[in-house]
Amino acid sequence: MPEPANLIDREIHPVRDRVLLGAVWAAAMLVAGAFVWLLADLLWHGAGRLDWSFLSTAPRNSGRAGGIWPIVVSTVLIVAVAIVVAAPLGLATAVLLSEFTRRGGTTERAIGLSLDVLAGVPSIVFGLFGNAFFSVWLGLGFSILSGGLTLACMVLPILIRTAETGLRMVPDDWRLGAAALGLSRTTALHQILIPVATPVLLAGLMLGIGRAMAETAALVFTSGYVDRMPSSLFDSGRAISVHIYDLTMNVAGGDRSAYASALVLIALLVLVNGAAIWLSDRTLQRKIATR
Amino acid sequence: MLSKLFTTGALIFVALSTPVIAADDKIVITGSSTVAPLITEIGKRFEEKNPGVRVDVQTGGSSRGINDARSGLADIGMASRALKKDESDLKAYTIARDGIGVVLNSANTVSTLTDQQIVDIYTGKISDWSAVGGTQGPITVVNKAEGRSTLELFLHFFKLKASDIKAHVVIGDNQQGIKTVAGNPNAIGYVSVGTAEFEAGQGTPIKLLGMGGVAASVENVRNGSFPLARPLNLVTSKEPTGMTKLFIDYTQSADTHDLVKEQFFVPNGP
Repeated sequence: MPEPANLIDREIHPVRDRVLLGAVWAAAMLVAGAFVWLLADLLWHGAGRLDWSFLSTAPRNSGRAGGIWPIVVSTVLIVAVAIVVAAPLGLATAVLLSEFTRRGGTTERAIGLSLDVLAGVPSIVFGLFGNAFFSVWLGLGFSILSGGLTLACMVLPILIRTAETGLRMVPDDWRLGAAALGLSRTTALHQILIPVATPVLLAGLMLGIGRAMAETAALVFTSGYVDRMPSSLFDSGRAISVHIYDLTMNVAGGDRSAYASALVLIALLVLVNGAAIWLSDRTLQRKIATR
Repeated sequence: MLSKLFTTGALIFVALSTPVIAADDKIVITGSSTVAPLITEIGKRFEEKNPGVRVDVQTGGSSRGINDARSGLADIGMASRALKKDESDLKAYTIARDGIGVVLNSANTVSTLTDQQIVDIYTGKISDWSAVGGTQGPITVVNKAEGRSTLELFLHFFKLKASDIKAHVVIGDNQQGIKTVAGNPNAIGYVSVGTAEFEAGQGTPIKLLGMGGVAASVENVRNGSFPLARPLNLVTSKEPTGMTKLFIDYTQSADTHDLVKEQFFVPNGP
């Protein structure tokens, strides 16, 4: 009688399997190689420009000299505004979609469709909308607030869709169990569903932050171009990707600063992602330890 | 834990939401992406000399500068061209000048083009470099996007309409033009003379062509002999007063000439 485990080890189609194995490895190498190449190119052109004073001082001579500190501060503020506004809204909508609407029902489909359309809208359109609505109509002008709110609109679909998936992944048995124990829906959400879904919620948050931090087109006409240190959220503040765009496209001799700024942007993204992974590991561990 | 994060975030948000500087001491300037870096630098120097004043510079193109100055959204607009006939309701203040020159890749063997040849290349009548004395190869025509001042100046100078031009590549900002021509041995484009001169000096593989027998150089733009030049203007909808007037006067003063040169433009005056 053949052992079932042997089926996995046995090579049924040696050639075909090897071709498949080779193909997936090649694809993975290509992806990794593209990233390594990109990073090497950035380091090659930008590392010489990167030092402590680049991180800690303000730009001079249109960014050719000096640093990017006010720009890093503006970027972090813009992204913070976007997430502070979008995360609660996103979570609430996701709860509505996964807990309070019938799957495939009219409400769920209508909201789902509008989210998917919103997710596909090019960022420049969000920029124009943000300029017309937040900057002009609401009178916020060119400000970190306008930029952050525009980005909030932009990342909402990502946040909602991932949070919804996370909540849906919780087995229905748990909901039934909570109901059987007489827990209210609020308590069930607060004590069971959201904690269980936290790793996915955090992953969605990271995707949102990543998209927000790397945004250019939505910010040129909302948070603007001013590269001074912002003193309030009503000040215009230049985001790091707007700075990179200006240096490459508009400032002759700005390329080295652009490369160095790109390195800082990537470092920021890695930092945020690292923090998210750490946070999600920690919440998982605590859950295993206490529950 | 998430809720704590949000509370902290909301608190920081409220704390930062208080405006610090009164609106009277803030000058908002929008418009041409070519002028914006220069005005940003002039603005910084102006802020140093006038503590408490803030100069906020935003980009978006000359048309935006004109519109915002007209609608009052901005105190001052920036336009990298002279005012048109239908813009006579506005006031323009020239802060510097800039030449526009035709650039080729330095690998190209062609060293001069007549005005007629340039027109024929841009309208698609000539499509191979061998027709103008170069080595055989298809010409890549690099044109500026609709609404760009450089395009308008180029069209006006060669008496062309935007629809006459058969472009292969359409670009936006100046550096994009330089990078496109530097990366394609068969490309032809037109860019700011000052930046092209600087880039060529830095080893970027481009070369500037003369026009009408006059070499394309910052010097020839300064002395007025180079034919294809444009003023860089600040525009206002009414006679400027107060801080706005002070700032415009300052941009036109000799105090800013070093900043103008740093951006590869030509200062006012002799």
